[in-house]
Amino acid sequence: MRKVAIVGTGMTKWGVRGATYKELVQEAGKDLFDDVRNVEKKDVDSLFVGSALVDRLAFQAYPAPIVAEQLGLTPTRMAMRTEMACVSGQSAIRAAYASIASGLSDVAVVMGAEKMNIPSFPEIQASMACVLDREWDGVNGLNAPPYFALVAQRHMHEYGTTEEQMAEVSVKNHDYAATNPTAHFPKRVTKEKVLASPKIAPPLKLLDCSGITDGAAAVLMTHGDAVKRFTDTPVYVEGLGQAQTGSLVGNLENLTTWLPLKRAAADAFRMAGVTVHDMDLAETHDCFTISEIMEHEDLGLCPKGEGGKFAVEGQSRIGGELPTNLRGGLLGCGHPLGATGVAQAIEITRQFRAQVPKERYVGGEWGMCHNLSGNANNHAVMVLRRGG
Amino acid sequence: MQEADGHYAFDFYPLQSAEHTRIHLFFENLKAGRLTTTKCAGCGTVLWQPRVVCPRCNGDAMEWVDLPKEGALFAFTVVLAGAPLGMEKDVPFVVAVVQLDGSPIRVVARIDDAAYEDLHIGDPVALRVIRLPDGRAWFRFAPTR
Repeated sequence: MRKVAIVGTGMTKWGVRGATYKELVQEAGKDLFDDVRNVEKKDVDSLFVGSALVDRLAFQAYPAPIVAEQLGLTPTRMAMRTEMACVSGQSAIRAAYASIASGLSDVAVVMGAEKMNIPSFPEIQASMACVLDREWDGVNGLNAPPYFALVAQRHMHEYGTTEEQMAEVSVKNHDYAATNPTAHFPKRVTKEKVLASPKIAPPLKLLDCSGITDGAAAVLMTHGDAVKRFTDTPVYVEGLGQAQTGSLVGNLENLTTWLPLKRAAADAFRMAGVTVHDMDLAETHDCFTISEIMEHEDLGLCPKGEGGKFAVEGQSRIGGELPTNLRGGLLGCGHPLGATGVAQAIEITRQFRAQVPKERYVGGEWGMCHNLSGNANNHAVMVLRRGG
Repeated sequence: MQEADGHYAFDFYPLQSAEHTRIHLFFENLKAGRLTTTKCAGCGTVLWQPRVVCPRCNGDAMEWVDLPKEGALFAFTVVLAGAPLGMEKDVPFVVAVVQLDGSPIRVVARIDDAAYEDLHIGDPVALRVIRLPDGRAWFRFAPTR
């Protein structure tokens, strides 16, 4: 197996954009090819596109050739779309990793892109609800906010977690988003503002939820022998883990412990030969405030049930146990489903390259990315190391 | 009446007749006030949702069995914003995970005739069958006290 590295990054501004799916893809592609030295379009032999809801929200199936057309790429080895809802972006990176490590691909573009905002908000929500089992769960009006509200209610019931503790997650991630000009919500919020924000699905309020966001993010990946051509600071993918359970909410083994996260993290850290305590920074999937609280617990950063206390103590801020979501997380950046996992890897890469504002610079040698999708029935963890 | 007349792409409710699904008995039983599912005749596993092949033993001989019509709230919330297309007029509505009495099975369902503020984890609820304008049926629950 060959070593595999990220050697270039490209981002768009995220938000409610006056831009189509194809235009977002062009913007991320420009930023990527402007970032990487010595790369020509013809060198890119493979393309991996992470887009979850492009069929419904852009009314466009089969996006890989669409992306190739927009970027001027003509892949000759591997081209595919990965669809794993909110994990689609990290899935595209995983697929690129597997293809490059095996020798099937040499130079790959990974594009995560999502056009979420369309004129009909109920249609957006209907498409999101189809991420669940539409006939048995979505049909009842269950969707992302009400599902994670059920999780939050159980976590509060079982462990005494409070809405104030959840609000601290939103405050932290908005603090860091304020340093990120590509974020959808680059403004600080107070705990009082979070607690007073409109109720969406109690106990979750608007500022406990990530936004409906348009955006794209792209990385260039290659094998260990080729990295020097493109960059002095490659970022190596050292560990990968993914675990999944079935789809029905009623059949989930546990609502308040994410067993697939524990399995995915164990596999990724074993593969990398490190532990979570070796990480200098982390990106974890804060689709809702309760999510980040549970992720810190299930990653083993604090005892089960003490994720709220971990947040209040500032242990996930710079200077704490593990700085988490320094780009602003999903809460601050918004959540264009397929783009999120790629943008997380970009944050780690740019941190290692000292390409982020000093207010959120940590740098270091080891970082991790975590995504979850659906009703948290799928988790993916990736461990990255600074090279060069 | 034809099922899902018109806008199929955003119709959340399952198509229910034998023309469309092999578990049409679930919906026929529901219309008779019964909540049923399939039990694998091979390994005896009671399956939720109803299946045509057992995910445990791969058998495809199924028996229909009744599930309890009573249960308790395991978790619940109320949808106040962001309802999917076709459900906007239902807001606010309570949606819950219901633990069926004496059964390991949990189902997701709406809770009718209930204000979120009045509900508590563990509250007893009972089956309620609703009919859609085109004649299809679906299940909800409602508090029993």
